[in-house]
Amino acid sequence: MLPSPSSRREFLKYSGGWMAAGLAHGMQGGHRTRVIDCHAHAGHAPALTDPWTTIGDPEEILRRNREAGIDQSVIFPISNDTFEKANQEIADICRRFPGHFIGYAKHDPVNEKGRIRAMLMHECHELGLRGLKLHVHPGPEVLDTVAELGIPVIYHPARVALFEEISRNYPTVDFILAHLGADLSYDWREHLAGIDMARRYPNVYLDTGAVVLTRYIEQAMQQLGAEKIIFGSDEPEVDCRLEIFKIRMLKLPPQQEEMILGGNLLRLLGKFREKAA
Amino acid sequence: MTVIDGHALAGKGFSWAEPEREVDYDPSEMLDRAAEADIHRICVLSPRATDYQAANRYIAHICERHPERLIAFAVHSPQREAGRIRQMLTQEVNAMGLRAVRSDGHPTRELLDAAAELRIPVVYYPKRKSGSGPGRWFHMIASAYPQVRFILPHLGEYRSETWWGHMEALDLVRRYPNVYVDTSGIGSLKYLEMAAKELPAERILFASFAPELDVRVGVEAIRLLHLAPERYEAVMGGNMFRLLQKS
Repeated sequence: MLPSPSSRREFLKYSGGWMAAGLAHGMQGGHRTRVIDCHAHAGHAPALTDPWTTIGDPEEILRRNREAGIDQSVIFPISNDTFEKANQEIADICRRFPGHFIGYAKHDPVNEKGRIRAMLMHECHELGLRGLKLHVHPGPEVLDTVAELGIPVIYHPARVALFEEISRNYPTVDFILAHLGADLSYDWREHLAGIDMARRYPNVYLDTGAVVLTRYIEQAMQQLGAEKIIFGSDEPEVDCRLEIFKIRMLKLPPQQEEMILGGNLLRLLGKFREKAA
Repeated sequence: MTVIDGHALAGKGFSWAEPEREVDYDPSEMLDRAAEADIHRICVLSPRATDYQAANRYIAHICERHPERLIAFAVHSPQREAGRIRQMLTQEVNAMGLRAVRSDGHPTRELLDAAAELRIPVVYYPKRKSGSGPGRWFHMIASAYPQVRFILPHLGEYRSETWWGHMEALDLVRRYPNVYVDTSGIGSLKYLEMAAKELPAERILFASFAPELDVRVGVEAIRLLHLAPERYEAVMGGNMFRLLQKS
């Protein structure tokens, strides 16, 4: 069994120094930017009612990543009621596969109300997690904490309109709107709302995962430019090999494709604030 | 190998997925994109329409202009056009060269008797309440009309809205030798992988649902299955070719 990382240095050792390596790849001339999937789920859940309440197998993700040419995936838990144990599992998976995953915490701002600040601080500073995934709308407890930590939030809201207030009130927090606003393109109007949200707020980015109506990825690219778009898949339910093809088929200039496939996310991850000594 | 896209759209009407959205699918754009994706032939049908006789005439017209590229499918509403379907479909098949019929609404005996008589496949994607799979809509028609070949689009669940819709489609193909699935508009590729692994390859038909969806994504989805060459050829066109030859 692998030891728990007691410090950031130890986490980086087990994670293969992803941050340093990633930034080096991304920022220095002549190096290829690391390809990162910003949206994947891993670990277990107790409900056993749907794939996303049962298991997300990291080895399955790695197998497809290898075929797709993806260097790393951001992973966070599948659906649980509370996430302390699930987030620990994410940290464990990151240690078990050094260099292949970037772990994010997930929390339920309602079910875990009052405990989130302490948990998130612990998860980022001690477990080495570097972002937050949300399905439930966050309040000040969550948003003040992520602002303090300098971590990005990837949020899959019930409606894109829910982004309005949080994006305006927390301009220092980077929000990634999952699925370009509409999981599996369930409503194309939500894609349009997502593009509009990203245009109006400099701190809103769009994740491309599980977008079936790919013309809206093209539209986002045309209207917003590459700097607001971040490649994601929603593995293991949605196949990263097909999702990355949806970016590559845009046939963008290499610099723009690199921004979408990893550069933009690395820039956001670089804002993490270490614990004061 | 002749690659046949088994499900594409042309003309004016309303979206199959969203009845309130007006669409106008340009056949020349579809042809250009298909050529780029190395697709040789395309089965094309109308979007949802208020007048299918006119819509089918338009489809026949564009197919006449591109006889080497396009294969015309009819669409009819068994409920709205009750009493007239046999006559219309017979003319469309025998005089205008249409090769299959999509049923806009649950197929009636009138439509299925006509399809059986004309020996054409029936494309049917049950419109159902969100959260319900295609199973209950297919059991009766597939068992009552074993001589009719049914094509269930989107592996039973457009955009993979539910995972059990796909699972029900797999079960339908296993149970009924006259049920086929098309591969268009699948959001979660793992269910297509299951189909490729668990179903007879001759019952899977490559399709794109272009131009509503990007044909290149549809082709890539099949490529990612890593099928053996003969199975790949069957899925990409051989199966549809044989299905239409029996007509």
